Amino acid sequence: MKNIASPLKIFYMAVWRNFLTLTRYKVNFIFSIITSILWAVGMLLFSLIFDSSMLGRTVGTTNYVAFIIFGMSFQCWQGTALWGASSMLQGELSTGQIDYTFTCPFSRYQYIVSNIAALAVQDSLFFLPMFCIGLRLANTTLTIQGLLLGLASIILSVAALVQFGVIFAALTLRYRQVTAIFSFFNFIIQMLSGMFIPLQILPVPLQIIGFSVPVTFGMDLLRHYTMGTLTIFDPIHEWTAFILQLVLLGIVAKFIVSHLEGKAKEEGLHYA
Amino acid sequence: MEEIVCNKIFKDYKGKGVVRALDSIDLRVLKGEFFGLLGPNGAGKTTLVRILATLLKASGGCAWVGGYDINKDEKKVRRIIGYAGQDSERSAYFRLSVRENLFYFAHALRGVPKDIARERIKYMASAIGFENKLDRLFISLSGGEKQVVIIMRAILHNPEVCFLDEPSKSLDPVTARRVRRFLKDYARENDITVCLTTHNMLEVEEVCDRIAFINYGKLIFVGTPIEFRRRAAMREIIEISTDKLGDDLKRKILKAYGVLNVVCQKNVTKLYCEDAFSTFPEVLNIMKEMGLKAPVRIAEPSLEDAFAFFANGGKSDEEYC
Repeated sequence: MKNIASPLKIFYMAVWRNFLTLTRYKVNFIFSIITSILWAVGMLLFSLIFDSSMLGRTVGTTNYVAFIIFGMSFQCWQGTALWGASSMLQGELSTGQIDYTFTCPFSRYQYIVSNIAALAVQDSLFFLPMFCIGLRLANTTLTIQGLLLGLASIILSVAALVQFGVIFAALTLRYRQVTAIFSFFNFIIQMLSGMFIPLQILPVPLQIIGFSVPVTFGMDLLRHYTMGTLTIFDPIHEWTAFILQLVLLGIVAKFIVSHLEGKAKEEGLHYA
Repeated sequence: MEEIVCNKIFKDYKGKGVVRALDSIDLRVLKGEFFGLLGPNGAGKTTLVRILATLLKASGGCAWVGGYDINKDEKKVRRIIGYAGQDSERSAYFRLSVRENLFYFAHALRGVPKDIARERIKYMASAIGFENKLDRLFISLSGGEKQVVIIMRAILHNPEVCFLDEPSKSLDPVTARRVRRFLKDYARENDITVCLTTHNMLEVEEVCDRIAFINYGKLIFVGTPIEFRRRAAMREIIEISTDKLGDDLKRKILKAYGVLNVVCQKNVTKLYCEDAFSTFPEVLNIMKEMGLKAPVRIAEPSLEDAFAFFANGGKSDEEYC
């Protein structure tokens, strides 16, 4: 029986590969560390002058810091989740590596997700010092339950974005250059998920579309757990809808990958 | 036992018009065989290899690799194959070393256990004379060296069937020979069936047990390299190692028994005959009479002659020109 690569193995080997590669671009690596330290020091300086009572008086809520650090972690993973796999496959297409990769016996969906996860780990490590200091700062206003549920809503929101990332990656296989398609959907996701505009003020048809974007409930729940805002629906219902949407999107993404890979194979994979 | 079976495989590329790249290919490759796919540029060799390696969909027909249907059991086919594509010298991670690259591909993507992967990398590198390059970054290698890494990657997981698309294209003659010999030995020891496309006739001569010739997407010939040459040898050849025959001598030779044509090339004159062995003594006598001293031999058409014969639609190169 031949050996088979597991998604977990692909994931940790991709982490290993990414870190080796990162350290080989020495100047960039040094600046990544410096930037990471800079953000952590910035957060530390902020903590010295941080006065939660003043924040409460001026901003209206002392949970603001918690929201900022959660928001930044979400931002940190968002780009990778949406765009990481697509650029990876684009690289493989242009070097011809995709030919070798796609003769290997693993699920394409798992390969893409494992690689996105590996990139997210890389992003997180540089973000971690600042996150920890920020967390220490928000400690007074954030309960353990709030922290865990906030993190869960971020991770699930990122997981939802990963499914979109997988779809973009599959589109790359088929259509090679998908930057414009990405921008189009990225705009829709950002506008209709309540990231910037509260859903409640949008017209009903747009609200319906908004509620079918899985990130919407993730954002709403994140705000609820970190800033104490009211959710649009009951949190239990939002969690249920959120997880169902995520599962459904996962199935759709998996189907699209296999469908578009099949289509791409009609003319060959590596002609980028 | 048959390891690769193609049954009426055809492939159409659709663009502005339909281009038929493969036309009803029937092919059988036996287990453990070193099989060469020959043909002019654009004949359809790469297309066939890519279809068998599950990278391209055939427009019709069916094929089995290792007993698995390439359309229905793609994943099972992928478990047992290795692949090195054409022009794939860039297809590894530039900022990883050769050792790291090979380890990543073998362990992460092929699931070879860590220790075995490490040992095999060491073994293969020493067999090819690549040990001192294992810790160099992939980007720092020359094109040919990169190609060696790509070939190693294709067999590192000991596949049952290995597809190599013009593996020696960018290798220098010494490295090419070393890699060829290693591949041949390694494939024999591990019972690997190798299917390679090539334009290198020396490679065919040295390693291929059987070959197939494809032209305009059609399978023209399947057999051993010797059969390939013989099939192409419509006429037998006597070679005189000089091109200074003179008109008289040329005329006399043309009148000799069974000589059909005399073609002078650079430093060699080729006499095309019906039966070279019967004509040979008479040619020697004529040369003696006319005082011509030059080495004479009965020549078999080379693989290159045979290639040209098949590529030109069954005409020898001279006639074709």
